[in-house]
Amino acid sequence: MKQMHDSLIVQTMSRLLIPLAQLFSLYVLFFGQYGPGGGFVAGVIWTTSMILTFLVYGLKSPQGRLVELVLHGDGVGLIIFVGVGGLCLIGGGEFLNYANLEILGMDAPSRRYVGILLTQIGVAVDVAVTGISIVLSLAYHDTEQEYDV
Amino acid sequence: MTRHLPAILFLLPLGLAICLPLIGIKHREWCRPLSIGVLAAMVPVSFANLVGVLQNGTIQYDFGGWAAPVGIEWVADGLASVMTVALSLVGLVCITFLSSVLFPYLGSRIVPFYTLVLLLIASLTGMVFAGDLFNLFVFLEVSALCAYALVGLAGGKALVAGFRYLILGTFGASLYLLGVGYLYAETGTLNMADLAQRVPSLVASKAFAVGVLFMFIGLGIKMALVPLHGWLPDAYTYAPDRVSPMLASLVTKVALYGWIRIMFWVLGAQAVVYQIRLLVLVGILGALAALVGAFLALSQVEIKRMFAYGGLSHIGLVLVGISLGNQTGFVGGVFYLLNDAVMQAGLFFWAGGIIHLYGVRNIEDLSRLHGGAGWMSVALVVLALSMIGIPPTGGFFGKWYIILGAVDSRNYLAIVSVLIATLLTLAYFIKLFERIFRDRSAPQPPLTREVPLAVRISLGATSVAVILLGVMSDHIIRFLLNTAVPPGL
Repeated sequence: MKQMHDSLIVQTMSRLLIPLAQLFSLYVLFFGQYGPGGGFVAGVIWTTSMILTFLVYGLKSPQGRLVELVLHGDGVGLIIFVGVGGLCLIGGGEFLNYANLEILGMDAPSRRYVGILLTQIGVAVDVAVTGISIVLSLAYHDTEQEYDV
Repeated sequence: MTRHLPAILFLLPLGLAICLPLIGIKHREWCRPLSIGVLAAMVPVSFANLVGVLQNGTIQYDFGGWAAPVGIEWVADGLASVMTVALSLVGLVCITFLSSVLFPYLGSRIVPFYTLVLLLIASLTGMVFAGDLFNLFVFLEVSALCAYALVGLAGGKALVAGFRYLILGTFGASLYLLGVGYLYAETGTLNMADLAQRVPSLVASKAFAVGVLFMFIGLGIKMALVPLHGWLPDAYTYAPDRVSPMLASLVTKVALYGWIRIMFWVLGAQAVVYQIRLLVLVGILGALAALVGAFLALSQVEIKRMFAYGGLSHIGLVLVGISLGNQTGFVGGVFYLLNDAVMQAGLFFWAGGIIHLYGVRNIEDLSRLHGGAGWMSVALVVLALSMIGIPPTGGFFGKWYIILGAVDSRNYLAIVSVLIATLLTLAYFIKLFERIFRDRSAPQPPLTREVPLAVRISLGATSVAVILLGVMSDHIIRFLLNTAVPPGL
């Protein structure tokens, strides 16, 4: 499945669906603050959109190249997560105690809001990258040189 | 600041582990010095944590500022702090050995390799501090996943051994999780201190008994208690030679520590499961493990496999010690656990060094050394003295206090098993020495190669450490008696 998918219907539909899925994943991410959802689910939805991308357009296409580029962000999600936790630690509170996240001109509730949002983004990034790398390593085992992470 | 030291201790290796993939894109050669640096930084932090715990008492660290029964709690008490000191010291020596020039070049795999090693250290730190049964499970799984990948790294037979380890390890982790589920259903809490208060009312409950047994079998697979040890010998024998010291000295020992934590701090020393005292059960299984492990070690032909079985027997000895039901025995067991971490690391350093310097994998081929490998042989003698249990070394004092505890509680099975295991250990080391020093039948001239600095440092450090542990055993034992004895013992 390394070539581009040749059906016009599939291509057109996915051109429509991929941005929609990504938008929905962002909605789940932000809505997760107050309701069901959050970083993990958002990451999984984002992964499905990325998988659809390289299934339909192939990895050689510009869209597929983007998927490969994403793989290099393996630790970025965790860096965001640990970074936010570490800033709380520097701010004098416990690890991940968002009330101590030092951001100027913010009261405790909005600090907590920002803190949770940032860690959720970190979680989402990591889940998405992990999902994509699992699919890539299962689907393209024979050409692993190309995706040497 | 001392309040945060447990979290900082964990974040040091974790932070580098997650940054390495990004650093590694451009500067592959930085992985090695950075990893050694972080482990070296963990040593003073863990000592500072120990001092802080001694001065201000147990640190209960609530993540996110949520208090204990609701939030996730880490507990740094005397035992946990001593364990992290040992963990960071042994980890530092192991990672020095990893970087020896002896071993084949890893190429681009060096980045994921060091990431896995650092994640392993971080997750083991997490297991030591975890104050919550589920948190313990999470770190158990993270450390196990790293260990599977590290075992499989060598390719070939190691892949099969790693896969077997993965299947059995996952089975063990699932059993542990199932056991935690039973306990949670019975009590509605996962926090260890909170559970400990609710356990006494559950003695008659069948769900509680089943949960405890599942947890024990799950952790038993992880610590390779003898009937459940099937994955260990292959995994340690075929694992890359630079990795097996770290696996042998740390992974199973921390799983054993996890069981000590659950058995004494959650279930209580007097816990009874179906009219059987848990301590008695663990003691019998430990005695069995000590004997069977040492016996199987005697019949091995491969050096690494022999040491792996020797490790199994030592897990049994530690269990014998802690299950005696008195302070002397418990402290002896814990002291032996610390010794064993050092000795296992040292033995696998030696085995790895011998394999790469002289190409000797089997005990028979050791005669090729003609007693020539002076430096290495001296280190082996020192480590063997400790493994067998001969006075100036730590191994002797560990066994001594275990036997003292056994005499106190009139547990003759324990005394007999420790003594027979000692004799068997002596026998299998004599097998090694016979080949090295007496057998001159090999036709080849003795091979002499310069022992690299990293191997000298790591072997020297472990040899000195077993002697130091022996010389200072009196202080360490008294220190453990004052700080690390569980409640109700």
